[in-house]
Parts: sequence; C-alpha cells; structure tokens
Amino acid sequence: MIKTRNAGYYVYRTFGYAFLLFIVAVSVFPLLWVILSSFKSNGAILSSPFSLPDTFGFDAYASVLRQYDLLHYFVNSLVVSIVPTFGSLLIYAMGAYVIAKYRFPGKNLFYALFTLTLLVPGHTRTQPIFSIIMNLSLYDTKTGLMLVYLSGGLAMSMFILRATFLSVPYELNEAATIDGAGFLRTFMTVILPLSKTGLSTAGVMMFLGNWNEYFYAALLTSSPANRTLPVALSFFNQAFSYDYTRMFAALTIVVLPGILLYVFAQEQVTASVASSGIKG
Amino acid sequence: MKHPQRLSRLERQALPSVYLFILPTLLIFLVFYLTPILTVLVTAFTRWDGFNAPAFIGFENFAKLFARESFRYALRNLSLWGLIAMTLHVLIGVVVAFLLFDRFKGWKAVRAVYMIPNVISAAAWAMIYRFVFNNDYGLLNNLIRSVNPAFSVNWFYESPAAFAAITYTWLFYAVIVTLLVLADLMAVPQELYEAATIDGASGFQVTRHIKLPLCRNAIGTAVICSGTARISMYEAISLTTRGGPGNDTMNLPILLVNSISDMRYGMANAIALIMFVIGIILLVFVKRAFRLNDPAT
Repeated sequence: MIKTRNAGYYVYRTFGYAFLLFIVAVSVFPLLWVILSSFKSNGAILSSPFSLPDTFGFDAYASVLRQYDLLHYFVNSLVVSIVPTFGSLLIYAMGAYVIAKYRFPGKNLFYALFTLTLLVPGHTRTQPIFSIIMNLSLYDTKTGLMLVYLSGGLAMSMFILRATFLSVPYELNEAATIDGAGFLRTFMTVILPLSKTGLSTAGVMMFLGNWNEYFYAALLTSSPANRTLPVALSFFNQAFSYDYTRMFAALTIVVLPGILLYVFAQEQVTASVASSGIKG
Repeated sequence: MKHPQRLSRLERQALPSVYLFILPTLLIFLVFYLTPILTVLVTAFTRWDGFNAPAFIGFENFAKLFARESFRYALRNLSLWGLIAMTLHVLIGVVVAFLLFDRFKGWKAVRAVYMIPNVISAAAWAMIYRFVFNNDYGLLNNLIRSVNPAFSVNWFYESPAAFAAITYTWLFYAVIVTLLVLADLMAVPQELYEAATIDGASGFQVTRHIKLPLCRNAIGTAVICSGTARISMYEAISLTTRGGPGNDTMNLPILLVNSISDMRYGMANAIALIMFVIGIILLVFVKRAFRLNDPAT
C-alpha cells in the first residue's frame, strides 16, 4: 500500500508523539521523582529538586522499616490481602461453577442479582458495613477487615469465573461422573486445574484491590497493631515531619509491590485494571 | 446439546450439592450487598444514631442536606468533575487509544507505562501528589519556577487552585478508557481500514466514519465508568484537602464518612442514597445517549 505523505501526515505524527510523550511524563515523572528523592539527603531534596542522587544508599529504607515499624504494616497488608483473596476465590469459584455448569431453580435470578451489584456505586454501603463489623465486635481487628474484603469483587469475579467455567467442555463433567468422581472431586481435581487463567485473573484483581484498599482500612481499624500500608501512609506526616528522605523511602516501599506484580503478571493486571473501571 | 425443560434424574440428584456450592456466595450477597442496600434505602428517611431505634422523619435528612452549604458545594463539585471526566478525561483516553492503534514507535511501552498510576494505591497516589504540588520543594512549582522564578502557589491550600489540583490527580490517567477503546479498535479486521484507505479515504475520514462509530460502545462504557468514578472519589481528597479550603473540594463520600463519625447514620445513608440515585441516572442517561443496547450501526 502506498501512503501519500502530505503535510497533514507529518503534523499528525508530530502531534501524536508530543501527546504520547506528555502521557508518559505525567505517568512516570511523579513516581520516578519520589523514588529518586528517597536516595537524596533532606537538604538536596529542598535545594535541588531535580538533581540525581549522588549515591544509592538504603539507609533511609532500613530506618523506616525498623523505626517506623513499616515491616509490621507490610505484613498486615500481606495478610489482609492474601487471606480474603484465596477465600473469595474459592467461594466465588464454587458459585460461578454451578451457575455455569448446572441447571437449577433460581439460577438465572442468582446470576442477575450477583452481577447487578456492579451498579451499586462504591462507598454507598459504608454505614451498614460499618455497623455489621461493629455489631460483630470486629472493629479494629484484621478479621473484620478481611471479612469486608472477602465480599469485594463479587460481580467481576462472577463475570470472569463463569466465562472461564463455560469454556471448560461439559463432556469432562460427564466423563468424571461416569468414572465415579463425586461432585466435589470433579470440581477440585478436574475443573479447577483447567481454569487457571480465569482464576489467576480474578485472583490478581482481588489481591490488587485489597492491597491498595484504603477506605475501609481507615474506617474499620484504629490501632497501629492492625494498620495496613495505605493507612500507615496517612500517618507519615506526623511520623516524619520534614524528614522527606524517609517519607519518600516509605512511599516507595508502599508502591513497589503493586508495580512488581504488574511487571510479573502484566496480562492479569491489565485485565483487572480494565475491570476495575467497570467496577467503579 | 439442547436441554429438556425439566431437570433430569441426574440433575435432580446433584441439586443438594449445587445449592451447597452457591450458598457461600449467596450469604455474602445477602449480608454485604442486599441487607446494606435495603438498610440504606429505609434508614435514609430516619433519624438514627446507631443506639436508639431509627425514627421515621420523611424527607427531613434531605431537606437538611440541601440547606447545608457543604452539601451544595459537594453537588456542584460532583457536577463539574463529572462533566470534566465524561468529556476531557474520556477524550484524552480515546486520543491515546487511537495513537496507540496507529502503531507509533514504542506504543507497547507507552501502554505499559500508562498503566502504572492505576496499579498503585489511590492513597499512595494522593500522597505523591501532595509532594508534587508542594510549594517549596514540589515537582510542579519548581518546574514552573525554572521559567517564572516568582511563581508561588500553595496548590492544595488556596482557593481556586485546590479544585484544579484535585482535578489534576485523575484527569490525565485515563488508561481504563484507553484499554476499552483499544480493545474495540483491535477487534475489527485490519482489512476494513485498509480497504477504506485504498478507496481514497483520508486518515481523518477513516477515523471519523469508521473507527469512531465502531468504538461507540466502548466510548459509552468509558463515559459511564469515568462519570461514576467521580461519585465515589475519596482518597485523593481525604488525604490532601479534606474538602477545603472552605468547601472548595468537598464531595459526597467525605460528607458521608463525616456523618458516620458524628453518629448520624440516617444522614449518612441519605447521602449514600443520593450517590446511588445519581449513579443510576448517569447510567440510564449515557446508555440512552450512546444507544448502548442497540446493535452496532
């Protein structure tokens, strides 16, 4: 195909590159600046904001992890992210499996109700959920927070997992039944291993959502013992007033796991971000 | 395979297991979705402190809300932010999608990098922006000062600047729009674009008459997502301005959380109900405008 390259083409290309360059700049500059600043001295941050660090020392990192107990918050975040992810993955996989593979009275109603929860804007259920956790005497416990996280992502998981199970041939169920495998065994040993793609997408989506969650973590916990990383961030200003190096080091520790997860599971994270938009 | 209307013997045998499997999901739905939504719906019309039984007071919560300046500011801000999100923000995402689709050099890297702000915590992003907008050592003001040394604005603390600063924290980050639109553009066979070009259509004509109509659904969905995301925006405000200065950056979730802290649960749920209704109106309106349920034309 021969392309005629007139002036308009070059204007378009120039504009295009300029625009994409701008997009890249606003996406990475703030983050890069925070990470680089975490290696600079307080004075250098204030006097020359754009200079590169002279050395790459991890003193500030060691200091925040030990003194500010960031390691403890890190472990908290890990626990309240991972446990509900596996819990809800199992629960929603069971639900999505029977909706995808079996006929039973109420099936369509259940599916409609579960997926319609997508239309409820975030934070509108705040007070009732707050009261549920209070009434269970789970305020300021990791258990309470995990319970709330367990309920997150219901609609999106249903969408993703039902589609996954639908793509597993029905003949496998029949074959397993003929071979004498029971309901539970068929699900655990035949269906789940064949659905790794969908399970990992839904799992990454829920983990990332839990790891980054701030709203309920701030609302439902109060003591440092149950604090997660995003909440700990909000206490930074009190903790290190005017110690920017350590503030930036702590910030880097909080954002890095999400970015690493993205680097190693790009496909799943992309799918989960795409769905998080629909979720909102 | 066509299933008969009535359940077979095998299917009936499986029923107890089937219901056992769906029970946990159903419980989560009942406890964390249905009951909360019904609670909001009912108690929005009551005075309720969480200890005493809710007392029905009709529309008093709503009347009180509309009389409060902070609430009127929250509605004004939501309208402005919603409008900016559904137009400029979506436009940015669509332009990026079209540019990426035209295979600019390094387009894959751009797509990968554009994702990063969306994989990190909104709380962390708000904190980062607090430093970016800091007047003394912040990234933005020092960048501006390299051109205009006298420049000095305390973004999150001054009156018209704070609204703009909050807007900046999300305006350019439209990767969800980009992903939606890009998926639709890529779903179309490449030959269609080539055929149009061979027939003498200019790049602009291909965009205007082929590409744009083809991603109408994606753009419509993106408009809904971007608009509704503004209703529940929380971290970017709570961790920066807390709604100030004055009520300049006030929004509904901030008011809702404040009402819960004040033990005014009826009021909190009136705000939640308003958020819910605005979300539904937006959804219905945009669906109509973009004819989202119609087959592609």
